[in-house]
Amino acid sequence: MTDTPTEVPLTPQPVMSMYDAPMWLSIRNNALELQHCTSCDTTLYPPAPVCPHCLSSGLEWRAVSGRGTVLSWVVYHKTYLDAYPAPYNVIAVRLDEGAVLVSNLEAPLPEGNWIGRKVRMIYKTMPDGLVLPRFVLCESGADS
Amino acid sequence: MSEWKAASPSKALRRAAAVVGVGHSDWVGDWKRVRGGEKPTDSYGYGAIAFRQALDDAGIGKDEIDGLIVGPTTAYERMSEVLGIDPRWGDQADAVLSVAQAVTAVQAGLAETIALVYGNDQRSARIQYGGPQAMGGDAFLSYVYHSPWGLTSQGALYALTFRAFCEARGFDPLDLGHVAVAQRAWSSMNPNAVMRKRITLDEYRASQYICEPLRLYDYCMINDGGVALIVTTAERAARFRKPVYIEAIGRRDLNRGATSLEPRLTDFYLSAQQDCARQAYDMAGFGPEDMDLFQVYDSFSVHVPLALEGYGYCAVGEAGRFLREEGIGPGGKLPTNTGGGHLSETYMQGWAHQIECVRQVRGECGERQVDDCRHAHYTSDVAGKAVSIIYSR
Repeated sequence: MTDTPTEVPLTPQPVMSMYDAPMWLSIRNNALELQHCTSCDTTLYPPAPVCPHCLSSGLEWRAVSGRGTVLSWVVYHKTYLDAYPAPYNVIAVRLDEGAVLVSNLEAPLPEGNWIGRKVRMIYKTMPDGLVLPRFVLCESGADS
Repeated sequence: MSEWKAASPSKALRRAAAVVGVGHSDWVGDWKRVRGGEKPTDSYGYGAIAFRQALDDAGIGKDEIDGLIVGPTTAYERMSEVLGIDPRWGDQADAVLSVAQAVTAVQAGLAETIALVYGNDQRSARIQYGGPQAMGGDAFLSYVYHSPWGLTSQGALYALTFRAFCEARGFDPLDLGHVAVAQRAWSSMNPNAVMRKRITLDEYRASQYICEPLRLYDYCMINDGGVALIVTTAERAARFRKPVYIEAIGRRDLNRGATSLEPRLTDFYLSAQQDCARQAYDMAGFGPEDMDLFQVYDSFSVHVPLALEGYGYCAVGEAGRFLREEGIGPGGKLPTNTGGGHLSETYMQGWAHQIECVRQVRGECGERQVDDCRHAHYTSDVAGKAVSIIYSR
């Protein structure tokens, strides 16, 4: 472990079931993997013991494309957490694989309506060392 | 969700049970005391005060209680002990499911006269509804799962829902202000309401964002208190002074994709509300056009436009126009949350809405009384459960 000053705010820690642990390891390696059902092609989020669509246990960890579309967004104007001073945003993204993730959009932020904007995943290391998958807007044209 | 069977609960539940007594703690007095640094009592104490009042209101002693349902904030065994009763049947449930459970239990003969008791010292005990250790996170993974990204509050979940709802249905966010304004107009006529100062639409629109697009007035308060109801069989209820019958119930849950928030963000619970509504209206034999009063679980104002569309009070996509032109406040087409709701009366997690339905149907609500209130429809769509109760004379 590296030394971190005591003032570094602690990021709220992830829920860590036995099925979450491999996902967070992949995030730490900057290549998010989610479980993929080999029977029915469903991509699971959050990770789970069986496929919720067909109940198969035949689940395979696969790297996601990181491409997605914004479903909704909010902006906090009140600070609840030291690691997240207001204002900051939270977005919901539907990955091209179908799963819906909650995350944050990094600058530059779009003008007007964010819903429907194409985004791609990046990895951000928080001051306390936790790595989070986040998103940036796709460059216009190139990713449409 | 077209694969759902259009099944309904047995019509034997229709008017099988009635509420024969209601009670509540001194929300206004305790609000002042808690704000002044006092702790009037704990969750069991608030429940006990409400229970005592409900017995008085029913005109019976506690020896006649043979069933008990407690709210999620207290333990069943300890509440029985505190109240000094030995029920032959009991359970723990939230407000709306308590009423539904009581109906099925008395209809099945599991108990004859059931006390529904809720007490919550959430303000004085500083209960956290947001944050990585948010209350309820053990039961609802969505409350805590996204905290590494700073999504920690119930308000934020509804803000995400509302933003997507506005986009999908063409709802103007400014129209949401009609909910807070109308409910405050109702609470200004309710001596039991904690917040009674009227607000205007301009004041709403000038108020601060908490989690944009939601503003301060879109959020419920957090306060201490208790609520109790006495439910018995329809047959026995006829011997009481002022029974209000539980005409019908309906329920449809929506759990798939719950933690990923997908049902909140893409369906807005509409499919569940519509199926729940169909069940309740089937059992009652009448529908939204016959309701004199609408009560909606309103931890956030957002619940109201979703419910107006989901339960058929207006067409899908019409909630904004309905709020603006038809109205849900005093003098409006559909009196809604006439006590002031969680936003303005008291945050009893749906329990106070039940006793407001009962008192309106009895005609006891004074200045805010809805004329000739025959049918009151309560509904909640919290944490994936769309549930309805219809109360009638």
